Amino acid sequence: MSFLTPLFFLGVAALAAPILVHLVRRTRARRVQFPALVFVRQVPQRTIRRRTLHNLLLLLLRCLAILLIVIAFTRPFFSGGSAARDNSAAGATVILIDNSLSMRRENLFAEAQRRAEGALDEARNDELIALVSFDKRYTVINRFLTDKNRVRFGISSLGAGWDGTDYEQALRGAESLLSEVQTTGPKRIVMISDFQMPGWSQATATFKLSNNTQLTTFDVGGNNPPPNVAITNVEARGVVFGQKYLDNVVVHVSNFSDTPRDHIQVDFQINDQTVEKRDISLNSRDSRVVEFTGFNLNDGTNRCTINIVAGDFAPDNRFYFTLRRETPAKGLIIENASRGRSDSLHLQSALTTDDDLPFTFALKSAGSVDPASIPEYALVVLNDSGPLSPTLADALTRFVNGGGQMIVSTGPRTSPDSFNTTLQQISPVTLREAVQTKTGESVAITQVKFDHPIFEVFQESGRLASANVIGYFRSEPRQNASVLARFEDGSPALVEATTGKGRVLLFTSSLGPSWNDLPLTPLYLPFIHQMVRYAGTHEENAWYGLGQTFTVGRKQEAGPPAIDTPSGARLSENRVTPDGDLLVTAREPGFYRLRYNAAPGFAAVNSDGAEGDFTKLNFGEFMAGITGGAGSAEGAEANRNLSGEEIEGRQRVWWALLLVALLLLLAESFLARRTKMVKMIG
Amino acid sequence: MSTPAAPTRFLDPELLARVGSLELLARTVVEGFMSGLHRSPFTGFSTEFTEYRQYNAGDDLRYLDWRLLARTDRYFIKKYRADTNTQCHLLIDTSASMNYAHASSVTKLQYAQFLAASLAYLLNRQQDAVGLVAFADKVHTHVPARNRTGHMRTIFGNLSLLQPGGETDLAASLHQLAEILTRRGIVVVISDFYDQPDRLGESFQHLRFKGHDTVAFQVLDQNELDFDFNDAVLLLEDAETQEQMPVLPDVVMDGYRDRMRRHVDDMRTCAAANNVDYELLTTKQPLDFALLSFLSRRAGK
Repeated sequence: MSFLTPLFFLGVAALAAPILVHLVRRTRARRVQFPALVFVRQVPQRTIRRRTLHNLLLLLLRCLAILLIVIAFTRPFFSGGSAARDNSAAGATVILIDNSLSMRRENLFAEAQRRAEGALDEARNDELIALVSFDKRYTVINRFLTDKNRVRFGISSLGAGWDGTDYEQALRGAESLLSEVQTTGPKRIVMISDFQMPGWSQATATFKLSNNTQLTTFDVGGNNPPPNVAITNVEARGVVFGQKYLDNVVVHVSNFSDTPRDHIQVDFQINDQTVEKRDISLNSRDSRVVEFTGFNLNDGTNRCTINIVAGDFAPDNRFYFTLRRETPAKGLIIENASRGRSDSLHLQSALTTDDDLPFTFALKSAGSVDPASIPEYALVVLNDSGPLSPTLADALTRFVNGGGQMIVSTGPRTSPDSFNTTLQQISPVTLREAVQTKTGESVAITQVKFDHPIFEVFQESGRLASANVIGYFRSEPRQNASVLARFEDGSPALVEATTGKGRVLLFTSSLGPSWNDLPLTPLYLPFIHQMVRYAGTHEENAWYGLGQTFTVGRKQEAGPPAIDTPSGARLSENRVTPDGDLLVTAREPGFYRLRYNAAPGFAAVNSDGAEGDFTKLNFGEFMAGITGGAGSAEGAEANRNLSGEEIEGRQRVWWALLLVALLLLLAESFLARRTKMVKMIG
Repeated sequence: MSTPAAPTRFLDPELLARVGSLELLARTVVEGFMSGLHRSPFTGFSTEFTEYRQYNAGDDLRYLDWRLLARTDRYFIKKYRADTNTQCHLLIDTSASMNYAHASSVTKLQYAQFLAASLAYLLNRQQDAVGLVAFADKVHTHVPARNRTGHMRTIFGNLSLLQPGGETDLAASLHQLAEILTRRGIVVVISDFYDQPDRLGESFQHLRFKGHDTVAFQVLDQNELDFDFNDAVLLLEDAETQEQMPVLPDVVMDGYRDRMRRHVDDMRTCAAANNVDYELLTTKQPLDFALLSFLSRRAGK
């Protein structure tokens, strides 16, 4: 027998009331001198004793009624084990044990193991038992066995993990297991968890148990989860190119309790050295953002941690991430300066004003570029470079196919025929005629894909359309090319295409002031920087979530490096991509050490920040969502003994208790009234 | 016998309790009582001659002086004074049980004092000798009967000094008094009579054998008859033995009343059997009732 709201047992204290009244009334007996005691003594004492017993009976009735009311409020229910045992055929049971991060608090996991062993003891000896642990994923510890000792061993070998919780996934897995069993007996899932809210969302829930599967739940989390403050997320750019980190490291701190918290210290450490400390306060159920910026970074990968000193659940008080400072790669701007006038003045200025760009640029005219030097560069910008020599065009084609990045802009010096001929393989478009607007007229850049990394910074302002374009090439995008922006007449303005391993961005107007006034507007600098950063980006997260798979490149070495887990164990992953990179799945929070020969690298892994929210799941919604809800009569009938609430709803134990309590009170009232009437008549 | 005046004229014992002097109290009671009678049927029951007066139609022929009629052939009625040869002893129970008052401010002992004072005054007014005996488990105060000037002051003084205390052995005390009071007379016993009626009967018989006319006033508080308590539970303590007993009044009430009624009936039967004038008084009753009862019974003797 279990109780849905055992807290109401505190109401047992109310039993003290009638007892106290009884005692107080006894002690208040007035002492009176009476001369004729001899006659009182002659009255048979059994009458008094009967009356005393009568009063005791009233007291007992009152106490029993209060006790029954209290028990009714605790909402007792009987688990469904007995029902399953009564069936003639042996059934199959899947024991689901939650081993998510939240089960690390207090002794929850030990309690869960104890409950699992209890469920095991309740099962029939010929019942098939499977043991599954779950967090965001599920792991089958034992497939269906009748050997309870092996299952017991499996239970004892389990431990709480680091990942978040997904109840739906666990139930899906359990039902999948049950579907493998051929039995006419009952199929049952015993779910043991702390039933925290982040583990299931009604809004996103899609899974429902089948009608012939019974669900029994054991909540080991208690009804009053402890307060907790957690770091739920850190936003940071994983790779930078300057010494100083100029972006913001954004730290999200949440208070998951109903109690405000003051003076929570937030420490930012780089390579175990404290960089900055902040003191914050959080209201109840509040989140705060703490930003750090302007700190210096060493070359290579820097191990960064955010710690909060909150004195509660420790695992979510530390957040790991890496910031890697890289040396900028070499970039080349190719222009046409045959007439002694460079159209790259603004472009060159824009690309040298920021030391946090992934490239350092050299400016050369098309005629002065040695085609053999092209592979030295990581990015080539063709800025209205005019006709290219075939050898240079071939070198650029090989460059792009080999993984190089290229940005091309046209202009008055660009010949569409020559362009289409020499750069046919790598160009995202086929250039058509040049368009020159009438004097005093211009076109705007419209139909911008603001979700693209280049334009996302303009999404809020929308000011990109304020640039006046007076000349551009009409063009026809080739297959697989993506048009990122267009002019007013629908002609492509910025087109992206990948060729081989490389990528080319083509702007059909000029990046100088020849065909537009972009260089003269505030839009120019971010536009150019965004294009260059986009071209220089290679994916590298500042941190990974548990369960995520990340790639460990082999770099210039012969093979992937050895990897140490945060707990110090050597990782035995052997999933290698065709390029020789290693795929690693994050299993524990902390820093994975990548043992490169030159300099060690690090990959940061963190638990799910929401796991620190111990708020109780809305059990009613959960059961309704998982079992199909009360609206489904068929489902409701089939899912007998599904849960504590279902059992309570079915057996109506508390109704019966309340009814009995009411009858007791009526009896008490009758007896008390009878006593009073006897007194009045007397 | 004449009818007493309306009860409203009677003095409430609680009012009398405010009168500090027993003598004044007794005079107030007796004079008020006597003036309320239309015609005294009690004058002349003693034997001392006082005067003659002419016979009027309607006079009692018993008091006609036949010898004077024979000598003078005239009709004269003989009038007599009170008989000073009669002596009366007032016996007061002062045991601790007499110190009880429930809803009244007058205890049974106070009531007994008032009654004794009033009787003493009345008897003295009739020139009878009055004595006082107070007892609990034994006799502790004894004022012999006298009819002298100032004796009343002695009686009232001793009455006012009586204090409750001690256990009662009423029968033994009456036996003792029967031996002490050698001269025949009237014995008035004022007590709550919490003793066995059989034993009391023997002591009454002893008094009667000694030639005493005995009058028994049983003084009780009304609550001793009713047992009317509002409390659900009481811890009753015996006034004499200090024995305690928890009691549920509403449970005990019926049984108690029944037993008390039986006791009073037994007392009445016992008194009648031994030729004792018995009267039950409660401390709420005006003293006039007691006096009237006393005089009417004495008139019948």
